Amino acid sequence: MNEKPQITEHLNSYTLNAFIDGELSPTERQGAEQHLATCHACALRVLSATQLKAATARAGHRFAPPAEALGRFAAQLRSQSQLQTNPLPQTSPQPQTKTPARLYSIRPAAWAALAAAILLTISLLSWRQLHQTNTLAAELLDQHLAILSSAATPQVISSDRHTVKPWFQGRLPFSFNLPDTAALPSDTILKGADLTYLNGQPAALLLFTIHKHQVSIFLMQRSTNSTLSTLSGARAGFTIHTAITPDLRIVAVSDVNPSELDNLLAVLVQIQKPA
Amino acid sequence: MSGSAPWTTDRNSSQVEAYRTMLSETSRCDTFEQLALPLFPSLYNHAFWLTHDQAEAEDLVQETFSKALGAFDSFQPGTNFKAWTIRILRNTFLTTRTGLAASRTVFLEDHPEKLDTPGGSTPEDNLIRLDNLAALHIALEQLPPQLREVLLLCDVDEIKYKDIALILDVPIGTVMSRVSRARRTLRQLLQPQLGESL
Repeated sequence: MNEKPQITEHLNSYTLNAFIDGELSPTERQGAEQHLATCHACALRVLSATQLKAATARAGHRFAPPAEALGRFAAQLRSQSQLQTNPLPQTSPQPQTKTPARLYSIRPAAWAALAAAILLTISLLSWRQLHQTNTLAAELLDQHLAILSSAATPQVISSDRHTVKPWFQGRLPFSFNLPDTAALPSDTILKGADLTYLNGQPAALLLFTIHKHQVSIFLMQRSTNSTLSTLSGARAGFTIHTAITPDLRIVAVSDVNPSELDNLLAVLVQIQKPA
Repeated sequence: MSGSAPWTTDRNSSQVEAYRTMLSETSRCDTFEQLALPLFPSLYNHAFWLTHDQAEAEDLVQETFSKALGAFDSFQPGTNFKAWTIRILRNTFLTTRTGLAASRTVFLEDHPEKLDTPGGSTPEDNLIRLDNLAALHIALEQLPPQLREVLLLCDVDEIKYKDIALILDVPIGTVMSRVSRARRTLRQLLQPQLGESL
């Protein structure tokens, strides 16, 4: 989505989808509308996309619950609500203290509900974190192994930051710094770079060698999601180390000595700091 | 006196506090019911897309409601309750119901109690609707789960990108990318059947 109104350029697919989903900012929407007023081709694309969206919405509303289910659910929900509001009755009734006893027993129930909620939250969070971590680790290893096995040359070949860094300009929604060759740890060479996607995000893939070992360094925008910071570790004989800067997440994958991998990561983190 | 007074005070304040807790619990449960029950058909539909089984879908929604009620204190008023609930439903499904056999799929067409009700559709919609609903169902089934999921959330449940990002726990840019890819793939799947009309 561009900030400036689009007048002459055709709508790209992101803008078009965001337009029909009502996700553009007023300025962006105005720009898109201005373009649509004069561009027959884009107007047709919008019409077609809107039809598809409407048809998808209808087709997606496919399964209706059995008629009696809602009543059953409402009853279950109420009984559960009551259980939380009025906990189980005392087995040995004490008439004089009945009301206070019921009132006092609210507190354990509230605590139990709170504990259950906390446990649920923790278990959901930890499962999600584990799931995400495993998925991302598999994605990283896949990409690193593909580099090792294919012997394909990088999209841009270089031993020099002045070749690699400008190549990324405009290809990524973020920028990063690269150290001079002289600043790299000993026997560490920047072979080249690829543009890649990791966890659904565009990422820069820097290909280094340390001695004879291949090292893949992924740089991506640091999202608000911090769960991926638990990624570091050893998997399938490879070391995965992560580092973060205020703007970037840097992930290194290699079978080189972990301390040497850390040295390279440290240099990369250091160079991101503003002078 | 010096021994009983503090006890009495403590006891009374505890009673008042407990009574307040009870009242707030009651209103909390009422609020939850008011918010949750209208979502039942939508959650059931979503659950069915995930499970492809009527009984499983009902169980999944029930479990979701139960968990959501328990965790209702963590819901932030003013945020999207539907998105919050679908997130719980989705996580519950992923943790407990992975690998269900697709062969157990039961479709709405088998349940005559509520079929797609007409109304508010445009002539263009009707053209697609009359001839191609089956094609769309097939295409949606053929979509990779990640892409189908994002279309269900965006087009069917009408959830905004930022809330979809929360449900899926991905950046909003990924949501945009998936929506775009999902529609492109859906169109490709439909193209042989619908020609240039779509």
